[in-house]
Amino acid sequence: MAKRSLLNQGRAAHVFLIPWWLGLALVTAVPLLASLYLAFTDYNILSTPEFNGLENFERMFQDEYFWAAVRVTAVYVLVSIPLQLGFALLLALILDRGLRGLAFYRSAFYLPSLLGTSVAVAILWRQIFGDDGLVDRGLSLFGLELGSWLQNPSLSLSTLIVLNVWTFGSPMVIFLAGLRQVPEELYEAAKVDGAGVVRQFTRVTIPLITPIIFFNLILQTIGAFQTFTQAHVISGGTGGPANSTLFYTLYIYQQGFLNFDMGYASALAWVLMGAIALITAVHFVLSKYWVFYGDD
Amino acid sequence: MSGLDRRGFLKLAGAGAVGAFLTACGGDSGSGGASLRYAWWGNNVRQQNYTKALKEFAAKNPGVQIEPEFADYAAFQERMTTQISARDVADIFWIASPQVLTYHKNKLYRRLDDIPTLNLADYSKEDLESYKLGGQLNTMPFGIFVPALRYNETFAKEDEVELPPADADWDAWAAFLIEYAKDNPNKRKGMPYEPDADLPFESWLRQRGEQLWTQDGQPGFTADSVRAWFDWWDKLLKAGAVLSLSEQEGIGPDWALVGKKVLANMGNSNHIIDEARMFPDYRYKLRAMPVAKDAQAGYQFLYFPRMAIYQGIDDDKVEAAGKIVNYNTNDYAMLKTVGMTMGAPVNPKVFKQSLESASGDEKEMLTLVQAGREAERRPRFEAPPGTNTWRTAMSRAAEEIALGRLSTADGAKRLLDEIQAGISRSR
Amino acid sequence: MTTATTSLESARTPAKAAARRRGRRDVLKHLGLGAFVLLMLYPLVWMIASSLKPDHLILTEPGIIPSEITFDNFVEGWNALNRPFTVFFLNSLVVTVGSIIGNLFSCSLTAFALARLEFRMRKLYLAITLVSVMLPMHVLVIPQYIFFSQFDLVNTYFPLLVPKFLATDAFFIYLMVQFIRTIPRDLDRAAWIDGAGPFRTFWYVVLPLMRPALVTTTIFTFIWTWNDFFVPLIYLTSPKMFTVPVALNSMVDSESQSGVGMLFAMSLVSLLPVLIFFAVAQKQLIRGIATTGLK
Repeated sequence: MAKRSLLNQGRAAHVFLIPWWLGLALVTAVPLLASLYLAFTDYNILSTPEFNGLENFERMFQDEYFWAAVRVTAVYVLVSIPLQLGFALLLALILDRGLRGLAFYRSAFYLPSLLGTSVAVAILWRQIFGDDGLVDRGLSLFGLELGSWLQNPSLSLSTLIVLNVWTFGSPMVIFLAGLRQVPEELYEAAKVDGAGVVRQFTRVTIPLITPIIFFNLILQTIGAFQTFTQAHVISGGTGGPANSTLFYTLYIYQQGFLNFDMGYASALAWVLMGAIALITAVHFVLSKYWVFYGDD
Repeated sequence: MSGLDRRGFLKLAGAGAVGAFLTACGGDSGSGGASLRYAWWGNNVRQQNYTKALKEFAAKNPGVQIEPEFADYAAFQERMTTQISARDVADIFWIASPQVLTYHKNKLYRRLDDIPTLNLADYSKEDLESYKLGGQLNTMPFGIFVPALRYNETFAKEDEVELPPADADWDAWAAFLIEYAKDNPNKRKGMPYEPDADLPFESWLRQRGEQLWTQDGQPGFTADSVRAWFDWWDKLLKAGAVLSLSEQEGIGPDWALVGKKVLANMGNSNHIIDEARMFPDYRYKLRAMPVAKDAQAGYQFLYFPRMAIYQGIDDDKVEAAGKIVNYNTNDYAMLKTVGMTMGAPVNPKVFKQSLESASGDEKEMLTLVQAGREAERRPRFEAPPGTNTWRTAMSRAAEEIALGRLSTADGAKRLLDEIQAGISRSR
Repeated sequence: MTTATTSLESARTPAKAAARRRGRRDVLKHLGLGAFVLLMLYPLVWMIASSLKPDHLILTEPGIIPSEITFDNFVEGWNALNRPFTVFFLNSLVVTVGSIIGNLFSCSLTAFALARLEFRMRKLYLAITLVSVMLPMHVLVIPQYIFFSQFDLVNTYFPLLVPKFLATDAFFIYLMVQFIRTIPRDLDRAAWIDGAGPFRTFWYVVLPLMRPALVTTTIFTFIWTWNDFFVPLIYLTSPKMFTVPVALNSMVDSESQSGVGMLFAMSLVSLLPVLIFFAVAQKQLIRGIATTGLK
């Protein structure tokens, strides 16, 4: 491309980026840097922060709740993300191609995500997984008496995983949008070449939407690491029973807002961010092998 | 937004931006006179009642405007924390119990004894002394709770059981509950499992001659006493006399859920006001806590929910704020509107007035509180800074004991360790 | 529905066998999807049933069919907070529509620059954008609040709307970047060669092509903003400014769980606009670029 137009692009880019720049300067950067600074201080919100070096980070190693939170979050991300995305992609593929009542199904599958995570969901979940709830009564038909899943430390996390999978509607909508982006001509071309439905999927659909799969993978993973509302609502903010649903951000919240230890909370947050950044970077490196962009 | 073509997009964007900004500008513009922010927590019934009462106050006091700031208990604290960090606190606010001394340490309260509009004449000198923090009257109690043993009289009659005598000790109660749960036609349990109920726990400690917090901001109890407390509950749990965690859906059960499953429970005296209303078909009675045979004199105590005026309030608003606090604490008119969900009135005169027109549940509560007021009481101190989450730690310990993951001795030790760690960090 | 289709198709003899096979496959699909829908929707049905029960029966009476039906929850819930619920709906609407416009405007500009234009440190910009979604909001809330309260903007909608107009929802920027990158470069190169500058390319070529991403952004912004609780809770303290979730929160007492029936009733009512919106918006998704974009 000509040198002149490159220069032109650079100038244009900065015009396009004016809102972003303003946002960075006014809304994002200051809180980001503030929290980075607070991570190295003793700050109880009420009085001024006092620099205390690496103390907050050293404290984490001794903190059994920190490790519980790491464990809970890691298990949750590893199990629920593949399940949720798998479901979402599968149903998006089914719903993308002609079938009567599509609009109805799409809305129906999306409904759980619309419900959000209000207090209503907490009561609902108790109705399903609680003592004498739907699941309990179902299992007792087979002679299994597990009682309340929500109060059983080895089962409680799985109810939150189910909750996450239940809201697969969000990534599904994004997949659907991605599938719409695939030009019809390519399918026709594939058909002319004699490709069946399965081959169309694997040769046309999947490669073309890899950027969208990648997007969902990255953002849903980040979102899962930051799972807060569900955990807060279902356990009433405690992370119980026995820390079995003590999600990392729930612990940050407890330290910052209930214990007033915003310095420690900020340090925890930056450690989480480091972990997420690392995992995202790995995803980006790996993406070179399986994500195909139309602009390459 | 059906078309979403370029032109539609532009038009909408333009119109929307203007609209949104206009609305945003049109927000709250302060109006003339003293405008005061009043912040409290609760459910929608309490919100309605207090909003109404504050309006009545404004009607009686032209020139004073009140902006209510309301949220439920957890949300209230989140918002409060954020506001404190920006020094943007409501002029008058309720104080969540674990925060009383934390806020004091950080100088959030304005002194109250120099505000001419706040009348303290009804209170005895000793009472006023007992409200002070750090030797200064800077918070105002506006309710009284005492620990209470509540039982369902309807169930007791149905199941034809006779309760232990009023002076029964802890063991007698335990034996009774175990017996009851073993053999009642409706398969009810004696109580929910609530070793984390803070007022009953405090009563237990004080009967043993200990206290919850010392004057110099340390835990005033031994691991032995906590262990004995956990043991008392654990015995009931193992004997099936109280609900399991599964049956009551976790520690800190909802009364709406367990109300049908138990004969009695231990908690705060004021809970009867809201919770009896959930089961209008049942009649509830209140009793004082069980009393240990060797209970130490002066073990009884009163717990006060408190309110305060913000230290950073504008000077010209102080008198108006004093008026509101005065109305809230010393005027029967306010109490009539808001009811007694925040406990019995503190002001002795208002207390008497309220007794005259009290409903059945209210009378139960007032009678129990009256007994507490008349009893000999050793001083009581608030939770020191750094212990904001001691009740969470208590719940966690009780939970893990019930799950069999922790012995009662280890649970007691861990509770004390966590409290100590919190206190030393905040130093 | 399906049988009608099948019989119509089977009238044409040559395709008869194939059509019947397809018809049968559709029936199977519908059965499978239908069962799945039931499973997904059970909770919602339970909520509807519960909202029709008197308060004390909701937690104690299991099962879906109410033994006693009442509309009290809706009537009382509507007026439970001293003012009709319409106020909160309108507030939510203002915030939601404002946020949608803000996000569509600012994120599409940013995404185009990041995905298509060549300039120095483009990768760094993208990294910063991603990093800003990685930090949990709980540690950002306080500095942000201090910032807005300094300008006396508490109890206005500015703290909720301004960030949206300044491209701070990195989720959508990144979403749009990914979508733009699936669009073949040839298309805007062609415009380029025809002499269109970056702005014309953005406006006439890329923006229409990224329609699914714009619709997705609209849907998600709507739902997230409509359901957002924490941020409005902190910035809006005056009841007349409350959005729906903040209003709903003050209905129940988290300690005693009273008012559950009203909560359910009002949650359902507040679900309606979202549902209607989604039903309409998702049609936009179906149309896609296959029919509108490439000509």
